[in-house]
Amino acid sequence: MSTLQTGQPRGILSAPASPDYRRARRAETRTGYAFLAPWLLGFFVLTAGPMLASLYLAFTDYNLFRAPEWIGLDNFRQLFDDPRYLQSVKVTLVYVLVGTPIKLAAALAVALLLNNALRGQGFYRSAFYAPSLIGASVSIAIVWKAMFSDGGVVDLGLTGLGFPSEGWVGDPSKTMPMMILLATWQFGAPMVIFLAGLKQVPRELYEAAAVDGAGSLRRFWSITVPMLSPVIFFNLLLETINAFQVFASAYIISGGQGGPAGSTLFYTLYLYIRGFSDFRMGYASAMAWALALVIGLITLVMFRTSNAWVHYSGESK
Amino acid sequence: MKNRHLLTVAAALCASTLGLAACGGDSGEAAADGPVSLDYTWWGSQDRADRMTKAIAAFEASHPDIDINPNFTDFEGYWQKRATEAAGGGLPDVMQFDLSYLRQYAERGALLDIGELGDAVDTSTIEESLLPSGQIDGATYGVPISTNAFGHFYNPAILEQAGVAAPTGDMTWDEYDAWIREVTEKSPEGVFGSGDYTGTFWLFDTYLRQQGKQAVTEDGEIGFTKAELKEWWESTADLREDGALISAERTTQLDPKSPFGAGEAASEFSWDNFLAGYLTDTGAEKLEIVAPPTDTGDHGLFLKASMLYAIGANTEHPEAAAEFVDFMVNDPEVGAIFGTSRGIPASETQREGATFEGADAQIVAYEESIADELGESPAPLPIGFGTLESNFKRLASDINYGRYTVDEAVDQWFAEAESALQQ
Repeated sequence: MSTLQTGQPRGILSAPASPDYRRARRAETRTGYAFLAPWLLGFFVLTAGPMLASLYLAFTDYNLFRAPEWIGLDNFRQLFDDPRYLQSVKVTLVYVLVGTPIKLAAALAVALLLNNALRGQGFYRSAFYAPSLIGASVSIAIVWKAMFSDGGVVDLGLTGLGFPSEGWVGDPSKTMPMMILLATWQFGAPMVIFLAGLKQVPRELYEAAAVDGAGSLRRFWSITVPMLSPVIFFNLLLETINAFQVFASAYIISGGQGGPAGSTLFYTLYLYIRGFSDFRMGYASAMAWALALVIGLITLVMFRTSNAWVHYSGESK
Repeated sequence: MKNRHLLTVAAALCASTLGLAACGGDSGEAAADGPVSLDYTWWGSQDRADRMTKAIAAFEASHPDIDINPNFTDFEGYWQKRATEAAGGGLPDVMQFDLSYLRQYAERGALLDIGELGDAVDTSTIEESLLPSGQIDGATYGVPISTNAFGHFYNPAILEQAGVAAPTGDMTWDEYDAWIREVTEKSPEGVFGSGDYTGTFWLFDTYLRQQGKQAVTEDGEIGFTKAELKEWWESTADLREDGALISAERTTQLDPKSPFGAGEAASEFSWDNFLAGYLTDTGAEKLEIVAPPTDTGDHGLFLKASMLYAIGANTEHPEAAAEFVDFMVNDPEVGAIFGTSRGIPASETQREGATFEGADAQIVAYEESIADELGESPAPLPIGFGTLESNFKRLASDINYGRYTVDEAVDQWFAEAESALQQ
């Protein structure tokens, strides 16, 4: 309903009053929802529904066989008395805190190299990206395990260099480095994003800095890093969240048990053992929600602190 | 108009998928006229699958009105899948079952009481002492397929190389420990008398049975004290410290082969039907089995139903399922197909149908040699038994890695056992 009747011919301004237009709008909305329907259905049935169910189960004792029994916060309380749970938290934190920076550093280093104009650039980019395409697969984890076993490629290589090893797979102090190496090797995704970010840094800045006598290290710290900080932030966020959820490689390398001596008992792996081997679904659900909360919290903290170090070039200073 | 048209198409699509789903639901009943179709699933290797295919073909040839729909996975994945199916009420018609899971499914009402079907499955061919393995409160939920017994394996080739005499069934535990030390000392680098055998839960159970106890009692309670477990795990402390046992690191490296299977340990305890697998793993020409060491003269041995058949309570064709189970348990031809690869056939008719040669004959001879002293077969194991067993193995390995002291490991095992058995 237009508030002013000015006697003007119907135009854009008075359009909302037109019944024809409204009908068309409604029809459009309906069609929009019809197109969205498959996704919405998938979201509610396959994601939101199970998530709500697991939220409920987190407060119950549920072994898949008997009806869930409400036990309030007991599952969450038990977490902190469970030595294996604490072990899984420790293992996962080490992996996230050590592994993620190493992986990002590797990704950035390779991106810097590939940012230089060189012959066969396209080939190198693909070659460095390839491991990420296959990295999450089961077969790679199996190959990885074989490589690091006693008598495997890595063992033979190290022995040849004068560092005899008995293989890494059976030694609890070496399984974490092995897992971090596997993650680092799959630096492709952040590397591509870094590369895209590097292309956005204006060349003039480097030229101006060079004229002022800044060396390459100086240019890196004073131009590349600040200009790239939004991309670094994005990658850091994504990789941190991913690292918390590592599962497939740990499951395969440790034979599904988190061994040797609990050294690869990642959070999600223990969650899986609790749910599907011990049939303690309530406990596993509680673990899942505790993880979701922690990841949410960490994301929040990262966003809150990002103002201090992330530089958006569009910002007026 | 176009929009309306689109909506109609979408609605039609939805309707047709709903229709399909409904059709899917109906097909089971509609099939009652034609041949009956049974879902059948088991765990096992490719070797077992090949034999199973032959056995199923034999069944279908003599029962043209029943169609078997087979499916198999490995042991771990098998139970994860069954648990989800049971929660959703969609278990297969016929399943291979394990003693440690039978109770969980039966008590939930997920399995059919086969006794209700009358004589559809003939169990008169099965040793009476074995039948309780499939029974709970008088109802029969599992029919034993085959039996196995615990035994002490040794590798004669390693002993010959070391110049050490073979272990015997009347050794004491102390004598056995000294024997391990001797083999390790006289063998070349990298070959040991044994792994740390105290990590095997069934061996601990055997040890307790030698003293008239059991690891888990009939009422599903833990049948030993913390002190007893502590003594057991400490019994090999000296051997561990002196490096007389293969290290935990090496054992992890060798997985999925066991130290014995990899030919790096001269002896190991396991179920006697492991012989065929050990022979393949080691490539040895001959491996031997004797009774485990004992301090009391009693070896604590018993026949265990190594596998059972169970029928899902939700089956639409209980008679056909029973017919299939009866065939698989009793038919002599099926017995000949499987040999002792699943253990010694539980049914007399199958034992008679098969001729045992080589490794099979060796297992039969071993079970005959201990036949006079066998204890009672265990009833279906308490819910949570699988967790007890895997925790036992894990904590023993952690002791070997030096991650826990024996006291810490004992405390942890008991803490976890209580919550596992409460379920």
